[in-house]
Parts: sequence; C-alpha cells; structure tokens
Amino acid sequence: MKAITKEVLKDAASRLMFDMSDEQYDTLEKEFEIIIKQMKLIGEIPDVDNVEPMTFPFDVTTDFLREDEVTEPLTKSDALKNAKDVLDGQIKLPKVVG
Amino acid sequence: MNYLDLTIKEMHEALVKKEITPLELAKEAIKRAKADTNNAFETILEDKAIEIASELTEPEENNLFWGIPFGIKDNFSTKNILTTGSSEILKDYIPVFNATVVEKLLNAHAVPIAKTCLDELAMGGTGTTGHKGITYNPYDPKHERLVGGSSCGSAAMVSAGIAPFALGSDTGDSVRKPASFAGLVGFKPTWGRISRFGLFPFAPSLDHVAYFTRSVEDAAFALSLLAGRDLHDATSSNKKVDDYISNINDTIKGKRIAILKEVIDSIRDEKVLTIFNNTVEKLKENGAIVENVSFDLKLLEACYPTYMVISCAEATSNNANLDGIKFGPRYGGDTYQEVMCNARTKGFCELIRRRFIIGSFSLMRENQEDLFLRAQKARRLIVNRTNEILNNYDFIYIPAAPNIAPKFTDSSDKLSTNYLIADNILVLGNFAGLPSITLPIGLIENMPIGGNLMGRKFEEKELFKIAKNIEDGTGLYNLSSRKLVK
Repeated sequence: MKAITKEVLKDAASRLMFDMSDEQYDTLEKEFEIIIKQMKLIGEIPDVDNVEPMTFPFDVTTDFLREDEVTEPLTKSDALKNAKDVLDGQIKLPKVVG
Repeated sequence: MNYLDLTIKEMHEALVKKEITPLELAKEAIKRAKADTNNAFETILEDKAIEIASELTEPEENNLFWGIPFGIKDNFSTKNILTTGSSEILKDYIPVFNATVVEKLLNAHAVPIAKTCLDELAMGGTGTTGHKGITYNPYDPKHERLVGGSSCGSAAMVSAGIAPFALGSDTGDSVRKPASFAGLVGFKPTWGRISRFGLFPFAPSLDHVAYFTRSVEDAAFALSLLAGRDLHDATSSNKKVDDYISNINDTIKGKRIAILKEVIDSIRDEKVLTIFNNTVEKLKENGAIVENVSFDLKLLEACYPTYMVISCAEATSNNANLDGIKFGPRYGGDTYQEVMCNARTKGFCELIRRRFIIGSFSLMRENQEDLFLRAQKARRLIVNRTNEILNNYDFIYIPAAPNIAPKFTDSSDKLSTNYLIADNILVLGNFAGLPSITLPIGLIENMPIGGNLMGRKFEEKELFKIAKNIEDGTGLYNLSSRKLVK
C-alpha cells in the first residue's frame, strides 16, 4: 500500500479536482493513521481474506429488460436547464484548442 | 391538541369526518414551518402546498395519505423545486423529474410542506455540515444538543410538530439514529423494498429510502404506500408487497429476540440500560423469548472502519458528476479543469472533501486489496454473522444509541479511535440490507432515547408487529406531540 504523505494526499485531491488548506491536510493525515490502523486490525480477523468481497447486501437478479421503444426521456432544454453557461444549445467551456 | 399534532391515522380520520380540511392543515403546517427555530428547512413550499391542498375537497376514505402534510429531505429530486442536497455545489439545482417516492406521495394527494436540511450530501451524522449550518434538536430549546443526521431537518420537522411524516435517507443510520434523539419512529425497509430512483446516491450498496413518523402504525401505513417494484430502479425488488397493517396487533408469544451482548457492554449510561431493560421485561411478559447473544467483538469493532471505507469509496465515484459544468455555480477558470476545480473546492465542505480523498485512496489499485476489498470482505463476515443470529432469532433488539442526543461540544465529525460499538451498530442493517426500526422507549432529563429492532429481509410485517408491542408497552405513542402540548 502507498505510504501516506501530504504529497500523496495532495495528489489524490488534485485527481478529484479540488484543493484543501494545509490545516485540512493535517486533519486528513491523522484520520488516515486511524483508518490504516483499524484496517490492519481487520486484516487480522481470521478468515477475512478467505471470503469474497461483498458488493451488495444480498444477491439481486434482475432479469427484466424493458421493451426497446424510442422515447425522449429528457428534452434538450431540460438537459441544459441547470448549466450556467449555454451557447447555441451547448454548454460553453473555456477553449481547449487555441 | 391541534389536528396537526395527530398521527397520520388520526389525522386521516379527522379529514374523512371533515372535522378539518387539507387546506387548514397545510396552512397550520406552513405557519409552524415559518416559525421554525431549529433550522430544519432548505425551502418552505408555501405556494405549492396551498395550491395542492386547495384542490382537495372530497376526502378519500381508503387513502390514508390524502391531505396529509409531509416533508422531503433535500436529497430527493423534486420536479421544478430547488433540490440542494444541502451543498453549495447544488445550491441552485432544479431537477426536471420527481423521485419515485415523491411521485407516489403526490399521487396519493399528500401535501408537501418543505424540503428539509441534511448533512451535506447525506454524508454526516451530526446535522451540522449542511450549507445552511447547524440543525437543532426541538427537545432542547437551549440549542445545545444535536438532533443527529444526516436526515436532521426531517427529524426536526416531525419532532417539532410541523408534519406527521417526513422522508429521509439512511446509509449508515441517518434516520434511525436521529429518530432516537428526536423522540420519533424512524424506519428503513429491506434494501430494494422502496425505489431509490431520484434519491441522490451516496453509497448505493448501503443507501435506503427511510422516513420518520409519530407511531409504528404510521410507519406501516407509509410502507404500504411506498413499497414496490419501480422500473426506474433496477435494484428495486419484484417481491409482492405485504399487508403490513392487518396483523400489527397480533400476539408476539414465542417470538425469539436476540440482544447483542457486546453492544450492551459498551454502553456506559446506566439510565439508558434501565429504560432498555424495562422494555425487555415487558416483551418477556408478553410471551417473547429474549436472550443475550454474543456477536463477536472483533467483527463489531470492524463495523465503523468497514463502513467508512466502503461508503467513502462509493461516494467518491457517485459524486464525480458534480463538476460545476452541467449544473452548479461557475467560479471561472482559464481551462475546463480549473472551472471544475474551482466549483468543487468551493462547492464541497471540508468534511466531504476529506471523505472523498479517503474513498479515492482506498480505490487506488495499489491500495485496493488492503482497504476497499478488505472492507468488502469484512462486510461479508459481519453480514454472515448477523444472518446466522437471525436464523436462530426473529429479531435483534438493541438501544438505538448509547446516550441521549449529545451536546455539540461533545461531538465531532472527525475520525477518532474513541468510539463506542453502540454508536455505530445500526449500520448492521445497511450492511445486510435488513428492515430496521427505531422507536422511543423512554426519556432521560426530558430528552428521548430509542430502541432499535432489526428483522429478517422482507419481513417488515413481523418487525412492525414487535415494534407495536413495545410501543404499546411504553405508551410513548406520538411522544413528540405530547412534548409540545406540555
């Protein structure tokens, strides 16, 4: 497992597209110490690595497929309704290619 | 007592007899909502409520929810109505559709009164992290104690007598814990029993639609309305919806109840234990077989970190769509990455950002085995043990919290090693997807404390029956309204 350093946490934040203050990273570092310690303890529980990871509370099989009918679930105006910057029916962003 | 202080069932009877009208109820609810001092609301729906209630003139005898005022946690999508998730990043988001549960309530002619505050994006347990600030406990006029979260506004709304019903969501204990602190019934069904379409996802393997009522019977009525398969939610169950009402007063003789020994051992407050034990004695008098069962201390201690890792990991990926582009405020930037980064830095509170990093780190390839996958394996062991107990017993019964609502000065959203098993135990119901209900069992210094029951999956009917038996024994039916009258 990756060692926790402030740089690692800053890198994780930048991949998540946000930033935090130095003080907040300090809090986070302390929280990680706790989590890693607790997860190590979990690793010592007998059989923990002999079971399959559980992704849902119980197996749910959905064998239903809806009919493949053409509908318009969302109109263009609805889709754009909450965007702050719209131009010619599209969401506007800073230029990517000059 | 005002008609608005009644339970849904009693209010329905008064509506059918035309002792009161939906409009009068809605007006009283709006009046009380506007006078709220607990910071329960994101948006009060005055015009909408009056418009809907005005059209309701002929009572529907077989429709319990006709004309009933209700609240909606602000992480349920409401068409053309602001839905913020109590987050700055969604502070002006207006959905274009209704969540299925909202649609069902509107179709039943229930009257929406307000959208309620929550811990930001439902990721907290204190009712202090929403963008509108702290939500207070109506039982504590000094505003020193929390009401709990994340469904803080819905809890405060029902507890303060503003409506007899409010929707919440429950990923770890977000309805069942505040119910204990606010003197309410808080219920979540089996995972898949109620459609989650339109509920902002937090951790979908743990998320449930849940709600607050003033009585066990009301909780059963609400499930009758809200349960069922929904084509918009592939995880909703095809299982037939039971009749939750007819047998609710049946005998509980011979029912087997497990009390978790380690949970009781971790509770320091003798008064909580005395109140809890009184209800146990009553259950025994009524013919139930109640036994102490050891769960496994290591597994119980694993609950909290397992929950943190799984819920944060799921939340990180679910909230990746909150980028400030399709919706959310724009704060500028020279590149689209800067636009996103500015929106997300300003849009999420510190707690949310810390949790996202915990989740993201747990999911990184080099960490997955030790963190995310290990947590998922621990979850399986915890669930296996829970179900093993429920093979031998009909219910698990525990105090819903180790104490009355804590003071803000004694509570924190930061992780610590100093936590009680009894403070994080309700998550068993989310790990295993089991139906679970909290109900008031007593008062300590005028603050309520609840008991919690969990049953086998899809056996809500049995759960309501045993909960009703406890409620009859304590006499704490509609507790919060009686507090107001006093």
